[in-house]
Amino acid sequence: MLLISRKNDYFPSYHLDMQRFLFGREFRAEELPFPDKVVKEHVKNGYVAVRPGIESLNDNIFDLLSGRKKWLCARCGNRDQEAFATCACSHCRKKCVYCRHCLTMGIVRSCTNLVTWIGPEPESWTCSTHNDVQLCTWDGRLSDDQNAAAAALDQALTARESFLIWAVTGAGKTEIMYQAIEHQLKKGKHVVLATPRTDVVRELLPRMRAAFPSVPISGLYAGSDDVRADAPLVLSTAHQLIRYSKCFDCVFIDEVDAFPFHFDPMLEFAVRKAAKPGAPFAYLSATPPAALRSAYLSGSLSGVKLSRRYHGHPLPVPRFHWIGGWLRAIQKGQLPVPLRVWLTEKMEQKRQVFVFVPSVTLSRDLTEILQREAFDRTVGVHAEDPHRHTKVADFRNGKINILVTTTILERGVTVPGVEVCVVGADDPVFDECALVQISGRVGRSAEYPAGDLVFFHNGKTLAMVRALGQIKQMNKEGAL
Amino acid sequence: MALCLFCNAERREPLTFRTLLSPETEAGFCPACRDGLKRINRRNNCLYCGRDLSLLDQETVRDRICRDCVWWRKSGRNGLYVKNYSVFSYNEFIKEIINQFKFRGDSILADGFACDLRKTFQRIKKEHGTRTAFRLLDKMDASFIIVPIPLSAARLAERGFNQAEVLAEKMGAPVTNALVRDKHEPKQSKKNRRERLMERVTPFRINADYASLIEGGKVLLIDDIYTTGATIRLAAEALAQANPIEIDSLTLIHG
Ligand SMILES: [Zn+2]
Ligand SMILES: [Zn+2]
Ligand SMILES: [Zn+2]
Ligand SMILES: [Zn+2]
Repeated sequence: MLLISRKNDYFPSYHLDMQRFLFGREFRAEELPFPDKVVKEHVKNGYVAVRPGIESLNDNIFDLLSGRKKWLCARCGNRDQEAFATCACSHCRKKCVYCRHCLTMGIVRSCTNLVTWIGPEPESWTCSTHNDVQLCTWDGRLSDDQNAAAAALDQALTARESFLIWAVTGAGKTEIMYQAIEHQLKKGKHVVLATPRTDVVRELLPRMRAAFPSVPISGLYAGSDDVRADAPLVLSTAHQLIRYSKCFDCVFIDEVDAFPFHFDPMLEFAVRKAAKPGAPFAYLSATPPAALRSAYLSGSLSGVKLSRRYHGHPLPVPRFHWIGGWLRAIQKGQLPVPLRVWLTEKMEQKRQVFVFVPSVTLSRDLTEILQREAFDRTVGVHAEDPHRHTKVADFRNGKINILVTTTILERGVTVPGVEVCVVGADDPVFDECALVQISGRVGRSAEYPAGDLVFFHNGKTLAMVRALGQIKQMNKEGAL
Repeated sequence: MALCLFCNAERREPLTFRTLLSPETEAGFCPACRDGLKRINRRNNCLYCGRDLSLLDQETVRDRICRDCVWWRKSGRNGLYVKNYSVFSYNEFIKEIINQFKFRGDSILADGFACDLRKTFQRIKKEHGTRTAFRLLDKMDASFIIVPIPLSAARLAERGFNQAEVLAEKMGAPVTNALVRDKHEPKQSKKNRRERLMERVTPFRINADYASLIEGGKVLLIDDIYTTGATIRLAAEALAQANPIEIDSLTLIHG
């Protein structure tokens, strides 16, 4: 290991390697690639801070009286007492509490120390070399709506204010971010784009790299090996941000509304922890969660609403089609008639289609039926499918005609000219937000701005009606 | 409602007399996870190593004894070691659980096996109890000294806990750390079967404080998994120095 010291007359030295490794991040002491003695020296000289991994939450007298201890995991923010357990620990030779919630990132016990950098920030990548060079080389053109949104976003983040981009699916959110990202990077800021899903990181990473060819960009998701500790721009799933701490000056959150964000408080904690205190957040969503929506509507959160797609055409509006006992039919191995009629028509028109179903089992069963019924070039995908990425790639390059899928493909995956049906749109897994996202798969490209979109159902649900209302409302606003 | 220790799903227990009487169910696995575990059939297991014989080529089995156990008997290295008991056969599913338990440190997963370990221990005691009943002069009752297979100090520091000890503690009887492991042979997976069987120098030694306790007693060694049987026999060899009357072993898995 190369250890370079920086010395001057007033301050004791620190190792640049340690600074680069630890800045903006927080590790368990045992994860550090530095000798104990060196770490201790840095702690003594005030460059490195250490805190316990598990904190006790016994602040009220009630808990103290009952003798029941409550815990908090300092790394992942877990407070769910069910997700703590005790182990006979050989380090502290006692019963030791550990957090089960973030175990996959390496165990945090009550005797675990979390270590972070509190010394000077490393010299920023941009300031030194790229001050007057154009970083973003994307040469596409923004629509007027997009341009206005991009400018407003840039301005808000420069003023360190959070901002909401409420944009219909296909409004071109990614391109809207470029101006603001460029500006932040040039000022030597650390920028992160967090999304809840691996697929979104995988889809965005090549686009960002193409748009910012000279910028080192890290892409973090489970299983990625694309980690550069000092990259000024990081694309990450929320989960992977757990090892970061007070790193980013500016945070973009794509698809804020997406599962598992609003289910798992740990992910929100991870994103907040990764940001520096007071860092502005840019939220991007087609269907913002209620809290953000009302903050925007009441004026406490600034933002813009883009009701029109970048190509200017309206959103495709779903048709509702009753399909009766479709579930029984599929379970008996039969293809429900309306679905057969629709698919036959699509195949004759040589269209590619997504068929959304409520569950993995149904995806498997329906795929089998379709293959048997000579709808060849049909495959099914679901979240745990190991071949998911190749199947989606095959669909993109036209090797596959029909993709039967669970809600995992409701966002992120964009294929020009695709048409969509939802089988069992009345199932509770299809909430308003999911249905709007699914509808957003249709008509994304300027070449095919329209396209068929059917909700096959066995009784309309409130979610279906609301999704339809939302789409119509956006079209009305967009037409103005 | 109690949650499954492993998959975190709700444990929908079928409503039986027992679940009705004790609403506070023990921490454990859900029915789906329990289904994924492959329990060894006690009517068709090897009389010596406890493995499920139905998984073997029947040609290799004689008188309910597997070929490996015949080999061990001929090798003359059994000494005081008699037999092994295991609860589950190795499969992909239990491998996942063990990975999370042993390598990620999720030691509470052992609670999911507590009931099985306790029951197996009861069975072992019963089996030995009936045998001693015929030997009236035998000074021992059916009680065992429970000794977990230790980790070396370095491995223990790395892992934070000894999985064998955690399992042993679930059996509802006192645990005696009578063995010390001076070094760890290179990681087990890096050695092939032959090399492991040929290993002759025991890395274990007896903790002098417990030598007198072991003398004349029956020892039950505990480990998470019985693979070739070499580790258990090396541990038994070290224990033999203290002159117990018999050594057996109980492992969660045979694999
Ligand atoms: Zn945690
Ligand atoms: Zn500890
Ligand atoms: Zn389970
Ligand atoms: Zn055997």
